[in-house]
Amino acid sequence: MESLHGILHGLSIAATPTHLLYTLIGVFIGTMISHLPGIGPSAGIALLIPVTFGMDPTSALMMLTGIYYGCMYGGAVTAILLNTPGDAAAVMTVLDGYPLARKGRAAATLAIAATSSFIAGMIGVTLLSFVAAPLAAVALHFGPTEYFALICFALSTASALTGESLAKGMISVFLGLALATVGIDLQSGVPRFTMGFVELQDRVNFLVVVVGLFAISEVGRMVEGTLGGTLHTVRVEGKLWFSRDEWRRARPAALRGTFVGFLCGAAPGLGGTLASMLSYVLEKKISKHPEEFGHGAIEGVAAPEAATNADTCGAFVHLLALGVPGSGSTAVIMGAFIMYGIQPGPMLFHTQPDLVWGLIASMYIGNIMLLLLNLPLVGILSRILYVPPGVLLCLILVIASAGVYSFDSDVFDLYMALGFGVLGYTFRKLDIPKAPLLFGLILGHTLEQSFRQALTISNGDPTVFVRSPISAGLLVCACISIGASVWSRRQPPKAFQQLEEEVAERHLADERR
Amino acid sequence: MKSNKGDLGLAVCVIALAAGYLALDLQLPEVRLSDPLGPRAFPALVGVGLIASALLLLLEARSKRKARPNTVARKAAAHVEAPPRVQPAVLIGMVIWAIVYYTCFEPVGYLISTTVFLFGLLSYFNRRRHLMNAIVAVSVALVFDLVFSQLLGVPMPTGLLSF
Repeated sequence: MESLHGILHGLSIAATPTHLLYTLIGVFIGTMISHLPGIGPSAGIALLIPVTFGMDPTSALMMLTGIYYGCMYGGAVTAILLNTPGDAAAVMTVLDGYPLARKGRAAATLAIAATSSFIAGMIGVTLLSFVAAPLAAVALHFGPTEYFALICFALSTASALTGESLAKGMISVFLGLALATVGIDLQSGVPRFTMGFVELQDRVNFLVVVVGLFAISEVGRMVEGTLGGTLHTVRVEGKLWFSRDEWRRARPAALRGTFVGFLCGAAPGLGGTLASMLSYVLEKKISKHPEEFGHGAIEGVAAPEAATNADTCGAFVHLLALGVPGSGSTAVIMGAFIMYGIQPGPMLFHTQPDLVWGLIASMYIGNIMLLLLNLPLVGILSRILYVPPGVLLCLILVIASAGVYSFDSDVFDLYMALGFGVLGYTFRKLDIPKAPLLFGLILGHTLEQSFRQALTISNGDPTVFVRSPISAGLLVCACISIGASVWSRRQPPKAFQQLEEEVAERHLADERR
Repeated sequence: MKSNKGDLGLAVCVIALAAGYLALDLQLPEVRLSDPLGPRAFPALVGVGLIASALLLLLEARSKRKARPNTVARKAAAHVEAPPRVQPAVLIGMVIWAIVYYTCFEPVGYLISTTVFLFGLLSYFNRRRHLMNAIVAVSVALVFDLVFSQLLGVPMPTGLLSF
């Protein structure tokens, strides 16, 4: 009941002209960004954060959140037309979306993807509204011990379940934690690891890291794509509206994908890629025509697209209720919250109800806007794909530089961002996931403070972490997620193995074409 | 780069980085006012975690060497490990060009440095379209300068220009 009141209250806030305008700007920019191959939601949000300084935090967060789900919504476009996922989560859409486009069903496939995303978005936001508030109420009883265990759990899932190697995920998390220790220690006043740079005393600037890791590093990838000439585009053609038979097959797949996606999003660190893979495997398993998958099955587009969009809503459960990001992009949004002086977490529902419920309600409105934008304008919006990538990558560098400089008017930040850009490119070359580093950086400070506070309260007794049942339970969950990761890599599930082979085969075929 | 050799190199680099981090941690003063741990304990745990991750990577690389990859994955891996079509010199050149840009950012000013930087990059990536490149470079620099200075209230450095 409280959630229902919250949604109605949120709608009254989100429906004001200013907030409607910022939501529209957010979803529009998100859709545009999703059409740019290589630029994912994290980079898009990071590039736009500097523009929001000085804005009302509620409007700014509505816009940034709009960019996030706008990106996820439109990720299918490049997957279907360009055979390149707009973001990692759209990787499954490529398998059936591109073959359908080549059969002349590009427009109908895009319409199915948009409708599935809409269904998933609306159901996902409803689930978010009814899960986040009770979870926040439970989390209000969390002390430093429980918070330490919760963050350990989030970091363990982020390192264990992203990327192909547990060790590389762990390296990424620990590098993020090491970066979080740079600067003046708040409890003792001692400057740590600043190397004599005054600029580092106030900790490593989060925005600099995000822009470097996610935007500047992607320029390197785009350079490879531009000079390698690996981009082949299919024009939008065919009837825009899908047939009755296509809709009959896509609808249940979209609903199943929604629930799979929301559950994956609600588990911190799992991410949209796993959600779309799971939903794809599920559809293939229960389908009467599994042989069609990989050659243009409409369920293979509807389910992963729904899962990806529901996953974004699930990821907000943690961010709003616990103050722990559920994915790389929500980690960037959490950074934006902190920059505006707002600490996400259970207290947010009590201290800033207008912001929380307004933000949730803006997702309903944003989803409707996205459907209205995407269906009739898909042909026009997809023209962005034909912007020369060479021009685009130069513009990204200039936007990133201006944004980073505007944060503190300090050239030191520019050099730092460039350094993190090179680091991000190296990470990609070495197959190290970037999102866990962001998790470590953003949660590292709270993790250390909770760790030290818990030990201060217990007079230095480390058993305090297993004496609390919640804390002990979360630490066991952390161990289980790492154990499961090790076990699944030793004996990967057959369905996933087949799927990976299919993706690898497709990749080879495209490169040869 | 994604081979066992790459993993071995990565593990060695991470161990060296962690050792440097732990050495710096040991140099921090021991302050324990109201906190039994002080500023050194948590970074020490992070450093140990980094070393443990690097050792785990070595173990993973060893078990990967023993395991026989499936045919398609092996073909795909071989394909990925093929020599890149992009010369690393292009990327290194871009980094150096960006460093030059950032060095000139304040003394020369945002408008001039951004125009030159952008025109230089566009001349390479969007060849033989000099007029279009010049228009894009000047207009983007001008628009961004106006947006940040006038709309967002963040003045960009004027440098050599007096406005």
